[in-house]
Amino acid sequence: MTAVPARSSEWVRPVTSQEPASVIIEIDHVSQVFQTSARKDHVALSDISLTIEEGAFVSILGPSGCGKSTLLYIVGGFVSPTSGAAKMKGQAITGPGPDRGPVFQEFALFPWKTVLGNVMYGPCQQGVRAAEAEAQSRALIEMVGLKGYENFYPKELSGGMKQRVALARTLAYHPEVLLMDEPFGALDAHTRTRLQNDLLNIWERDRKTVLFVTHSVDEAVFLSDKVVMMSKSPGRIREVIDIDLPRPRRRNELLLDPRYQKYVVDIERMFDESDEAGPAL
Amino acid sequence: MMSPATLLRRAAPVLACIGLLAVWQFASLVLKNDSFPTAIEAIRAIPDILGDKESLINILASLRRMALGFGVAVLVSIPLGLLMGRSRSVAAFFNPLLMVIYPVPKAALMPIIMLWLGVGDVTKTLVIFLGVSLPVIYHSFEGAKAVEEKMLWSGAAMGLSPAQRLVRIVLPAALPEILTGCRTGLVLALITMITSEMIARQSGAGNILFNALDMGQYDTVFAMIIIVGAMGICFDAIFERVRARLVRWSEPQFDLPLSFS
Repeated sequence: MTAVPARSSEWVRPVTSQEPASVIIEIDHVSQVFQTSARKDHVALSDISLTIEEGAFVSILGPSGCGKSTLLYIVGGFVSPTSGAAKMKGQAITGPGPDRGPVFQEFALFPWKTVLGNVMYGPCQQGVRAAEAEAQSRALIEMVGLKGYENFYPKELSGGMKQRVALARTLAYHPEVLLMDEPFGALDAHTRTRLQNDLLNIWERDRKTVLFVTHSVDEAVFLSDKVVMMSKSPGRIREVIDIDLPRPRRRNELLLDPRYQKYVVDIERMFDESDEAGPAL
Repeated sequence: MMSPATLLRRAAPVLACIGLLAVWQFASLVLKNDSFPTAIEAIRAIPDILGDKESLINILASLRRMALGFGVAVLVSIPLGLLMGRSRSVAAFFNPLLMVIYPVPKAALMPIIMLWLGVGDVTKTLVIFLGVSLPVIYHSFEGAKAVEEKMLWSGAAMGLSPAQRLVRIVLPAALPEILTGCRTGLVLALITMITSEMIARQSGAGNILFNALDMGQYDTVFAMIIIVGAMGICFDAIFERVRARLVRWSEPQFDLPLSFS
C-alpha cells in the first residue's frame, strides 16, 4: 500500500499478507523546503507520500542529503512539513508524543542520569510508580545486554553501549512506533553488526512498527520488511521494495542466501544508475 | 603510604604560599620601604584585626552584602541566561543590553547609584549583584545554547512540556557551564565587594583596608590584603567542592598524570 508503484521485477512482490495489515503511519504529499539564504531555497523533501503498516520494519534508504532524516523528524513531530501532512492512526501529527519513540545517531542520553535513571525517565514522566518503573527498566537494561551497568553514567560507556541504553530508554515508555535515525551510524563495523543482530532479536519479540533511517544497503535489507529508496535534490521516493526474506533472520545464513545478495546488488545498482544519470530531476 | 609524587602534589599549594611569602619577605628586606612591610610584620598584624570586635563587625557586614548580592544575582541570572539560550527573541532583546553593561567596570557606576540610593548597603549590594550577574548570565546562556537538540526532542517524545524541558533538561545539561559562570561570579563578588567599600567608605573589609592606608598603617593594609586573599581561596575551595559533587557526571573519568611529571 504505497503511493509509489513498486518496481516490476520478478523479486518484488506486492504485499500479500493473509489479513490486511492496518496502516499506522500515513505520509501525505509532504514537502519540506529550507531557506538556506535570502534568495535560495533548498528542497529537502518533494511531495513524499508513503504509508506504513502496523508491525512493519521499514527502512528509509538514501544518500546523505536526501532528506531521509527530515522525513523521520516529521513523523516524530519534531519538524513541521512546509506542506502536506503526516498522520498517525488517522490523526494529524502536530508534535512529538510518547506513541512515537526516537532513537538518534547521537544517542542523546541524559548525561547527568545513570543508565537506570535514563531508562526510568520516560515511565516516571508518564506517572508509572517509581518501584514499578525501576523493575521494568532493570528488565529492559538486561534485555539490551547491559546488566551490571545500571549505575554507570553515559560518559563511562562506549558508543555501542550508549546506543543500547538509548534503545532501552525509548522502549521503556512503550511507543507504538520506533523512529530510528541512523542509530548505528556512529559505531564501528563490529559493534554495528552486533547491535543489528540484537535489534532484530528484540524486535522479533513484539514486532513494533519501526521506521529506520540508514544509508547502508546491507543494513536496510538485513533488517527490513520494506525498503524505501530515496534520491536526492530534491528528496524523492525512487522505489519501494518489499524484502521477502524469511524471519527470524540469522546473519550467518542470510549472508549466504542468494535472495539476500540479489536484493543488495540490485539496490546498489539502482543507486549507481541514478548517479550516472546525473542529478535526478 | 603516599607515593612521593602524591605527596608532592598535596604539598604543592602550601609550598606555593610559602614561596610567595618568602619572595615578599626578601623583597621587603631589600627595598627597605616604609610602605612595604615584611611578610612577617603583615602576618603579625592579622590577629589584631581578627581579635578586634569592630573589625569583625565590619568584615561580617561585607560578607553579608556579598552573600546577598551573589545569591540574588545567581537566582536571577540563571533563569534569564537559560531563557536567552533557548529563545532567539529573548536573546535578541537582552543581548544588546548586556553588551552595553558588560565592559563597564561596575564600580564606575557606583557614584551614580550612590546618588540615587545613598551610600548604604543597598548601593553596595547592587554593585555586587551587577558584577556577579553578567558572567553567570553569559555562561548560562552559552550552556543552554549548547544543549543538544536531540536531547530535548527525546524529552519532548516522553511528554515533557517546554517549561519542563527547560527545568529538567536544559538546566541540568547546562549545569557544568552555569557553575563555571558562578565560580567567576564568586571571585567578582569579592572584588566588587572591596571596590564598592573603597568608593563608599562606611563599613566593611574595604573600609578597614583604606582607612589603614590613609593612616599609614601599612602592616594592617597588607594584613587585610592577606585576609581578603584567604577569604577568596576559602570560598573558591568550598565552591569547587560543591561544584565537583554536583557535576560529577560530567567530569573526566580519570585524573590523567601530567605529561611532564
